[in-house]
Amino acid sequence: MTENAISALRAIFGERLRTSLEDRICYSYDATGKEFLPDAVAWPLNPEEIRRTVLLANEHLFPVVPRGAGSGFSGGSLPVRGGVVISTERMDRILSIDSENLVAVVEPGVVTERLKEEAKKQGLYYPPDPASLKFCTIGGNLAECAGGMCAVKYGVTRDYVLGLEAVLGTGELVRTGVCTVKGVVGYDLTRMLVGSEGTLGIITKATLKLIPLPETAATLLAFFPSNEKGARAVAGIVQERITPCALELMDRTAVECVRRMADLSLPEGTGCALLIEVDGLEASVAREADRVEEACLRFGAIEVRKAADAAGRDNLWKLRRSISPAVRQVNPVKINEDIVVPRSRLVEMFAFLSDLSERQDLKIVNFGHAGDGNIHVNIMISGKDEDERGRADKAVEAVFRKTVELGGTISGEHGIGIAKAPYMEMEVGPLGVSVMKRLKNCFDPNGILNPGKIFLEESAVRR
Amino acid sequence: MRDDELRALTGACAKCGTCRTVCTLYPERKAEISVARGKIALIDASLEGKDTNLDAVQEALADCLLCGRCERACPNQVLVEEIIMKGRADAARGIGIPAWKQVVFGRVMPSPKGREAAVSAAAAAQRLFAREIPSASGLHYRFPEKFGLSGRTVPKLPKKGFIASLKPKEAVSGDVLLFVGCVFDHVFPQVGRASYETMKISGSDIAVFRDAACCGLPAMVSGDRDASLRCAEENIRRLRAAEPEKIVFPCGSCLLMFKRNLFSLIPEKHELRSDAVEVSNRCVDYAGFILGSGVVSRLPDPPEGEKVGEIGYHDPCHLTGTLGKGQEAREVLREAVGSSFAEMKGADLCCGYGGTFNIRDYPTSARIGRNKISAAAEGGAKVVATACSGCILQLRDMAARTDPGMEIVHLAELVAKALSRR
Ligand SMILES: Cc1cc2nc3c(=O)[nH]c(=O)nc-3n(C[C@H](O)[C@H](O)[C@H](O)COP(=O)(O)OP(=O)(O)OC[C@H]3O[C@@H](n4cnc5c(N)ncnc54)[C@H](O)[C@@H]3O)c2cc1C
Ligand code: SF4
Ligand code: SF4
Ligand code: SF4
Repeated sequence: MTENAISALRAIFGERLRTSLEDRICYSYDATGKEFLPDAVAWPLNPEEIRRTVLLANEHLFPVVPRGAGSGFSGGSLPVRGGVVISTERMDRILSIDSENLVAVVEPGVVTERLKEEAKKQGLYYPPDPASLKFCTIGGNLAECAGGMCAVKYGVTRDYVLGLEAVLGTGELVRTGVCTVKGVVGYDLTRMLVGSEGTLGIITKATLKLIPLPETAATLLAFFPSNEKGARAVAGIVQERITPCALELMDRTAVECVRRMADLSLPEGTGCALLIEVDGLEASVAREADRVEEACLRFGAIEVRKAADAAGRDNLWKLRRSISPAVRQVNPVKINEDIVVPRSRLVEMFAFLSDLSERQDLKIVNFGHAGDGNIHVNIMISGKDEDERGRADKAVEAVFRKTVELGGTISGEHGIGIAKAPYMEMEVGPLGVSVMKRLKNCFDPNGILNPGKIFLEESAVRR
Repeated sequence: MRDDELRALTGACAKCGTCRTVCTLYPERKAEISVARGKIALIDASLEGKDTNLDAVQEALADCLLCGRCERACPNQVLVEEIIMKGRADAARGIGIPAWKQVVFGRVMPSPKGREAAVSAAAAAQRLFAREIPSASGLHYRFPEKFGLSGRTVPKLPKKGFIASLKPKEAVSGDVLLFVGCVFDHVFPQVGRASYETMKISGSDIAVFRDAACCGLPAMVSGDRDASLRCAEENIRRLRAAEPEKIVFPCGSCLLMFKRNLFSLIPEKHELRSDAVEVSNRCVDYAGFILGSGVVSRLPDPPEGEKVGEIGYHDPCHLTGTLGKGQEAREVLREAVGSSFAEMKGADLCCGYGGTFNIRDYPTSARIGRNKISAAAEGGAKVVATACSGCILQLRDMAARTDPGMEIVHLAELVAKALSRR
């Protein structure tokens, strides 16, 4: 960035613009572990400051990279071409929670868990619950269309967005969508922005849908001898015509990595664990929990444990939520994919994965939202061995091919960012990519917003 | 920076961001540089030889309360406290430790005599420069503006410390040794006294560790590992010579030093390592001792009823958090004050003191501390008990400023009061 551009930014942000190397280092990473230094970091307090930033960017042609909590797994918030990181962490007000119309209006920097808690105080529920909910932001969730544990019953972030306010790549402030349950006026720009990874607009406000808070919930932890057996039980539970609000699978290594967090002992012969939660009315939850337990045992569970109280449930959840960062205990470098296959093909996918792990001699740790077919496939490598790196790259590609072949998708929730850009065409085809690029051009003609993300030839990093 | 050990420690960070959720400082700063993840990234960059400004890195590392909340929440067991302390030491090697800290930690702290002199000098300075302010919880002095301590209330230093007040033959030998810590000796001698008197009820012979050096924590957190090591070596030698069965700590921070930090100063190959392990194994917290030694069973029944929730307990980060000793204090309280004790909201939140952090950025430290007092007051607490010298200094200052009716005490003082009902 030029001196001129920086001083123009300083005129907008004053002390809230930082350019020291130390400040920039702190905004050079996200949860992918990759690093790219921005030229500056700014903390806007309102949409107007963001709008003026984007106008300046069009004038001086520098990248603008929105960032929430930097917990992304696909490198979405990494400033791969430098420029200014727009951190939304200080735009974190919950503007309203309307219990009559069941909507909340929030700024993008609101931490997801805080919204959930504030809604809960009014007997309402904002369901999206990525494992990172304690720190990730609504803005980041919207931009990635984050999913979570309860997606199997309640859907993902997309399903709870009614309307947005965003600054487009042109510097225009648009309002999209509605604040009512229904609305069909023209193209659905709201859904265009959701999942667009900060490449079409910077979200400055969101109107979100809330639902009544379920009365109660019960949580079970079931141990199975293998991933395949666990996957069969997933299908079994669904065939019982029960829709759990969480149906999470963790393979043995994943559980080993986090056992300490929940002070948990594993029964002999454990190859996989399922975390299952059912919620709803007091009367139905107990019955459903029993039926889930029976189904698990019928499908070969070695043991089923039920969390008796809130503390016990929290403990089980902590276990699940800690897995993602904790699997690094297996090996320092994590290649983290979040494929989805139709639920009925899970067994096949797991068989493929265990075969792959053996064939390529790679440590692969699997866990994820089995209830919706979403598996986090983590290839753990030392990061030092060229040959191992090569085998891992091959494995990634093989996993994606198999996924698409089984009728699945290569990213369920983490997005494309820089990590999956090389594989996008594999799923959506050349025309799909081309239409997307044309759309990008409408929203952001100068390519100011988060350049280097999603599209291959613009991807600054290739694996 | 060039520390290989440090590199090994930071390598475990997955950059996930979990530490953002619990950081005491993050709500104040709302910037990555204030959370563990940012600080670790900075240290890494410096280790890699990136062109960082060492002053700025030191500044960032100093901006931390060492409350350890991040470390406990970290799913990867990253040793954040260790990393930050080591990082501070490395930075200090590069650019030096401020002269006043060198004098205090390098020369004064390891020697009880020198410390005595420094403390009386400070008391004299206070008497000269400070002016008295009224406060229901006791007398406090407010430093004048030119000290740069505007608004701070500090305890009036007593003329005589606890150890100095002991009779020559009093508490000189015994199986159980009381490590008072300098604050409970010189600043709040009543805590030293209460600890000693209540421990005596156990029936064991209690000796007071008269020639203790500072535990070494303040030097260590300031990055002066040499001074800290000297304190540790002195203490270990003297404790090995005295061979007590148990060493009891009323101050959670001093205990942390012996239970955990000692081992980063005295690594496997150090000649004092086995002695350090031996000493550390014998160290216990005050509440744990009171519970385990039968003192509580000799406490009279607490008066029933009317004051439910008037007494709360603040969890010192080092004691409850890092060392996991939170239940013991609560059990002692229940025995000593009965239903007057109730959990207060946010009992486990850091008080904002953070040792030298309180001096470095008093306004922020005070904001965090005031929140603590308000939460306690909201829940109806009139007395807040705790078990760490830093917490008491901080909470008394904050209470004096925001809720002068609130009393901040050491657990031992409440136990002593309960005993006096016998
Ligand atoms: C331990 C852990 C567990 C996780 N579990 C899950 C999970 O279960 N499900 C899941 O879906 N993800 C999960 N993630 C990934 C990550 O938390 C999500 O992708 C989350 O939505 C990112 O939010 P953030 O605030 O950290 O955004 P960032 O990482 O900062 O940014 C993510 C993307 O959003 C863009 N962005 C941020 N704010 C805005 C804005 N206001 N306007 C426009 N674009 C913006 C950025 O440019 C970037 O492209 C997990 C991550 C971790 C570390
Ligand atoms: S919680 Fe631990 S692993 Fe995660 S960013 Fe913080 S220090 Fe690193
Ligand atoms: S020790 Fe406390 S203040 Fe320091 S980074 Fe960790 S949580 Fe934040
Ligand atoms: S931690 Fe504080 S009270 Fe304890 S000995 Fe060291 S300086 Fe004194």
